[in-house]
Amino acid sequence: MNEIEEHLWNYIDGFCTEDERKTIETLIENNANYRNKYAELKAFEANMPALDLEEPSMGFTFKVMENIRAEHARVPLKTRINTSIVRAIGAFFICTILVLLGFVFVNVDWSAPSPVHLPEIKIPPVTNYLNPVVIKGFLFFDVVLGMFFLDYYFRKFFIRQK
Amino acid sequence: MQKELTDIELINLVLAGNQSAYANLVKRHQRYAFTLALRFTKSREDAEEIAQDGFVKAYKSLSAFQQQSKFTTWLYSIVYTTAMTFLRKKQLKTDSMNDDAVFTQVNLLASDLKPDSTEQKSRLYYVNLAIGQLLPDDATIITLFYQGEQSLEEIAQVIGMETNTVKVKLHRARHRLKEKLEGLLKQEVRELL
Repeated sequence: MNEIEEHLWNYIDGFCTEDERKTIETLIENNANYRNKYAELKAFEANMPALDLEEPSMGFTFKVMENIRAEHARVPLKTRINTSIVRAIGAFFICTILVLLGFVFVNVDWSAPSPVHLPEIKIPPVTNYLNPVVIKGFLFFDVVLGMFFLDYYFRKFFIRQK
Repeated sequence: MQKELTDIELINLVLAGNQSAYANLVKRHQRYAFTLALRFTKSREDAEEIAQDGFVKAYKSLSAFQQQSKFTTWLYSIVYTTAMTFLRKKQLKTDSMNDDAVFTQVNLLASDLKPDSTEQKSRLYYVNLAIGQLLPDDATIITLFYQGEQSLEEIAQVIGMETNTVKVKLHRARHRLKEKLEGLLKQEVRELL
């Protein structure tokens, strides 16, 4: 693109300074090259605003609104929950628990009138149940469980490899 | 007569929960968005997909719209980015028009659209055809400047370039468009003779 054309486009678009504008106006008046080029560019420019915009299909707006509705429906539940409500409910329960705890601690009588006697719990002796049959059964169950998990792991591993 | 709501008023309605107000915004700007999308792809179906996607994205991030620029500038930047992503995904051919294959494609397109009526034979028809032959970036700048009524600063915002770069690109795009137009008109004159 030559310099004349660039100057003239700046003049037509109004991108030049006042001084430049006056200079170009003088050149258009006195210089045939400038005058002809200016007429040419003005003729070209005249077509541009009259250019038609392309028309999309009739259902364009409807499709956009449908997409928006579909997107809205697809939003996961957790993103639609108002977190401030959840926080308010949580704060209410925490306050209630703290008040109750405070009330309990305030009203507790910390002095013990007599020494505390722990109840006696009689646990049946475990050694009676741990005979060789039970131990073998327990080990057998462990081995089966171990093989099951090993099989599960290898299946996943080979599927990932494929 | 009821006063037509401005873009900002419609946006505020949408943000207040009135989803149907967005339909008015879409109706108002769909032709611009579609025309802009059509500068990137020759397929009307693809252009519709791009423009629709742009409108859905704009809706989803409407609350992030700062209202410091025009809504159209913001919308066009979304459509522009969507179109670029679409092109990358589809790996559409955006070769220079000097490429022989593209020339053949354009000639085929021109012969498909052979004007029948006087109206179609108008200069505007050839201007549109010539814009269709430009590279997407040139066609976008021309479309935004003349059809989208965007200033150089706004175009710079849409396509993410410096204002001066856009100015130079606009000059070059117009120059290329003029050349294409002259070529098409010469060809037409030759055919008539």
